[in-house]
Amino acid sequence: MPLTGARDLAAAAADAPLLASLDTEPWELRGALHLQLHFELGGEGRTDLLPPALHPSIPPTLLVNVTHAPESDAGPFTLATVRVGCRAGARPRGLLLRGACDSPAAIAALRGRWGFPLELAAVSLRAGYAHAACEVALDGAPVLAGELIDPQPITGADVQYLATLALARVERDGAERTRLVQIDPDYVFHRAQRGRPRLTAFAPDAWGLPGARAAHPVSASLTTVDLTLPRLRYLIDPERPPLKAVERLPGAD
Amino acid sequence: MKFGVFFEISVPRPWGPETEYTVYQNCLEQARLADELGFDQAWAVEHHFLEEYSHCSAPEVFLTAVAMQTERIRVGHGIVTCVPEINSPVRAAERAAVLDLVSGGRLEFGTGRSATWTELGGFGANPDETKKTWDEFVRVIPKLWTRERFGYEGRAFSMPERTVLPKPYQKPHPPMWVAVTSPGTEIDAAERGLGSLGLSFGGVAEQAKKIAAYRKRIQSCDPVGEFVNEQVNTVSFLYCHEDLERGARTGQLLAGTFNYLAEQTLSTRQAFPTPSYHTPGLLQALRRESSSGPEGRVPEGLTVGDPEHVARAVRRWEEAGVDRINFLLNVMETVPQEEVLASMRLFAREVMPRFAEPHAEAERAAASAAGG
Repeated sequence: MPLTGARDLAAAAADAPLLASLDTEPWELRGALHLQLHFELGGEGRTDLLPPALHPSIPPTLLVNVTHAPESDAGPFTLATVRVGCRAGARPRGLLLRGACDSPAAIAALRGRWGFPLELAAVSLRAGYAHAACEVALDGAPVLAGELIDPQPITGADVQYLATLALARVERDGAERTRLVQIDPDYVFHRAQRGRPRLTAFAPDAWGLPGARAAHPVSASLTTVDLTLPRLRYLIDPERPPLKAVERLPGAD
Repeated sequence: MKFGVFFEISVPRPWGPETEYTVYQNCLEQARLADELGFDQAWAVEHHFLEEYSHCSAPEVFLTAVAMQTERIRVGHGIVTCVPEINSPVRAAERAAVLDLVSGGRLEFGTGRSATWTELGGFGANPDETKKTWDEFVRVIPKLWTRERFGYEGRAFSMPERTVLPKPYQKPHPPMWVAVTSPGTEIDAAERGLGSLGLSFGGVAEQAKKIAAYRKRIQSCDPVGEFVNEQVNTVSFLYCHEDLERGARTGQLLAGTFNYLAEQTLSTRQAFPTPSYHTPGLLQALRRESSSGPEGRVPEGLTVGDPEHVARAVRRWEEAGVDRINFLLNVMETVPQEEVLASMRLFAREVMPRFAEPHAEAERAAASAAGG
């Protein structure tokens, strides 16, 4: 069977969000600008970043995603994540251990309702005709800078985003447990461009991914979307084998 | 209806010193038995870097071994990836010609463009271009086979005038096919007069519509080769056992394992947004259809179970207009080799004779019903 992860997420889970409830209402973010930079992940330890519940994809990948929501119930905000492309069983997913957001109100909503493991940071996303660029600084130190170059128009039908598995803590069987919370937004695309990705700064430890290296560029996309964060449907126990790790939540369709 | 075997050559971890050797030897043994039993073709894929899923990166070498160990079975080189970063069209034509010569004119030549970023990205190929390069390859390769001297100025490649040698044993050249996994590719095949290889999307009824469209369109085709190859091949899993439940369970395990492995690779669509790849990757329809049966039942058209059930599934494909079915016999050595061979023997003994002539059984049944 395919390789599985070998990472113990206990230490990373210490700072993970605690979800008081798994019964979350959807949240629509209209007119969001979304940048994705997609790389192949370098290094020999392709199982070192993932827990036993997940398979590395072939090849393993690294996904940088930055979303600017110009309006929301929590006000405007910009969110940045760096995920490891993987497989939960046969399903393509992106493992998220740490992210950044520039709005305390949005962090509270995203941490508390979906388990996004976010920290307050300076996050920017700028898009022009010739390129789009993102930057993230934690306590003044740059931890991510990247860009999409040579954009060309495509359609939203050409774009496929991976659902996220966010590291969080939830109550199960009367105790607090570490779980990966599946977040699979709906997207309505209004505009899409594809280009080449480039990273000019990346501090893997800041994203909970020690040793991760963006080894080979794959693609970059910039879209304008109406993005709806959904009700929670699935949890994954990171320590269990892939085919026994998934818990379907009540009401999941 | 003709039957073939289809080799992906999947190799399970852990990979010990003997693992790949053993899997390859098992496949060769299956090919030899297929030849003895009357299967018509043995196809081998071309895949690169697809860990466990397929270790068949040099199918022309494997097929040469098949040809040398068999007497009658045709060898299907399918598919040759028509992407210049992966294969030169000249080298593809040369290799195919040699394989046709050494096999005594038994080559079937399949063409395609790869479905995964794992492969395309590994060779630095641009997914936007693969449909175009495939089109160029299939138009050029027959000329490389049939013209004494040929030069070319093209988009994907160019070459000064040369004599490409050797020429295939089959004249004017071997039958050509295209792998059909994306919707619409069956029309691409028909327009060029190419056989449709692995038309495996949608259920049987859906496939029947696609085949009808293929048959209609190919009547007015502009063939890229010297002749029109109007044939439809499909791919299915085979596990035939006297006990229906055991056969069905084992067959579905094969299908499920195949699905699971395929999903570990990175499809082009997931990695690289492009209008050129709107399907999710490796034999996606076969995978979907093989796991889409109602709860507890074998999906329609999946050739697993006891001989009666397998024969019914074959009949459904025949009624849909399929000319040939190629069977995946094992995945990740899930089924012990002796059981694979037993499944092939049972199929050949109990099922194959029913399809020895077109619609033979249906005609017999009709005659019987009519009192004939």
